[in-house]
Amino acid sequence: MIEWIALILVIIIVVLFIAIYIGYYNRIIRLENRIDNSWAQIDVQLRRRAELIPNLMETVKGYMKHERETLENVTKARSAIMKAKSPQESINADNMLTGALKTLFAVAENYPDLKANQNFLNLQDELTNTENKIAYSRQHYNDTVLIFNNMIETWPGKFFAKRMNKVTREMLQIPEASREVPKVKF
Amino acid sequence: MEKKLLVEDHIRRNKRQTIYVCTFMAALFAAIVFAFGYLLFAGNIFIALAFAIPIALGYVAITYSISIQTIISATGARPANPRIREEKLFIYKVEDMAIAAGLPTPKAYVQDSDDINAFATGKKPENAIICVTTGALKKLKPDELEGVMAHEMSHIKNSDILIMTVTIAVVGAIALISHLVFRSMLWGAGSRGGRKGEGNIVLLVVAILLIILAPIFARLTYLAISRRREYLADSNGAYLSRNPTGLANALQRIKDDKPSGKPKVSKTVAPLYIANPFKREARGSVWATHPPINERIKRLRSM
Repeated sequence: MIEWIALILVIIIVVLFIAIYIGYYNRIIRLENRIDNSWAQIDVQLRRRAELIPNLMETVKGYMKHERETLENVTKARSAIMKAKSPQESINADNMLTGALKTLFAVAENYPDLKANQNFLNLQDELTNTENKIAYSRQHYNDTVLIFNNMIETWPGKFFAKRMNKVTREMLQIPEASREVPKVKF
Repeated sequence: MEKKLLVEDHIRRNKRQTIYVCTFMAALFAAIVFAFGYLLFAGNIFIALAFAIPIALGYVAITYSISIQTIISATGARPANPRIREEKLFIYKVEDMAIAAGLPTPKAYVQDSDDINAFATGKKPENAIICVTTGALKKLKPDELEGVMAHEMSHIKNSDILIMTVTIAVVGAIALISHLVFRSMLWGAGSRGGRKGEGNIVLLVVAILLIILAPIFARLTYLAISRRREYLADSNGAYLSRNPTGLANALQRIKDDKPSGKPKVSKTVAPLYIANPFKREARGSVWATHPPINERIKRLRSM
């Protein structure tokens, strides 16, 4: 009789353990997928932004003949985005682009004709839009990383994460100066 | 960092309070079922349950089946037009907040009105919509509009529309049961014969009081839940946009705004809006669907 009870108890404990293990396993994997997915989101926006640049250059070229350096900086930043290999590299290149564009739009204030150009205005809207989207997808990425890290660094998640060889993920760092979204004047 | 913690504390506190209030609502429902059984079925709670549960489910089914389309046509809203610059920027903001919340992008709608207001609806994030008034698009600055979008996105993320749908159904069910008992007692049907005349007088009084008071309490509880969810959406919105000031300024602008003419809103959809279109209470009231706007601004500014 006692043996039976012991056996049943052991079975219950084993089943319970397996159920909890599966639960944690799935949650950890799901969170990891969410991180990858939110990175993909950032990447989409980065690319969209980079693709707007040639168009912008085309529009601006005719007006801003004497602003070589400003224009070159934008082009340089764009190719840095295209060449970036790691998430952090992409973000750094994007920050470069943000800075370069900030200067460009500030300079554009001196060209009334350009400011009246419908195409230019649209591009400005689009660039601000992608800028915001990058900021928010970066924020969501970091939020997700935080949830993941909390999950695998606290008990009992830590126990399962160790067995799954999961390590904490890095958040995307943003230099203080570029935290502010450039104010585009209309 | 300290700032962020505060927002999270607000969120946690509001969630806890919602749970309390919802528990109270469930207790009310249980209480009225007890009174129902006691007064009409000689204390047989099971027969009372057999009546009460279908009534409650029926109400849920009815309120649940009110489609987004019904709400949209009640407000006269139309899809935002990306060719108009203001509306294009509004669509962008909706997309931004969906990204921040990690949810599918809701459909963007615009309602022609001078009022500054906005609402979100849809029981699932997949088919949610966010609607703003043209007044809001004209009068709000970009970061203020963003704050409002963050508030609406939080309603969607917190399944507030679903919570309020179920709550209003329970309120309706309680009211109907109370009405049923009243009617039967007026007709002299039910209890008397069944309880063999030795009913506990205290219990009888309690049951009658419950029947009278439960609908009022249910209504008040519903309103309390509604206000809690507004606060929660405010603090969640602050977290989403990382900018409580934007929403605070937007609320300030709504408060100071003197719209011309009456709001073109039907009373039934009024609780959906970010600010009650009919009255802007400066002081708190237990009968209000929304918390006092000054208090909301104060809380946002303290984050």
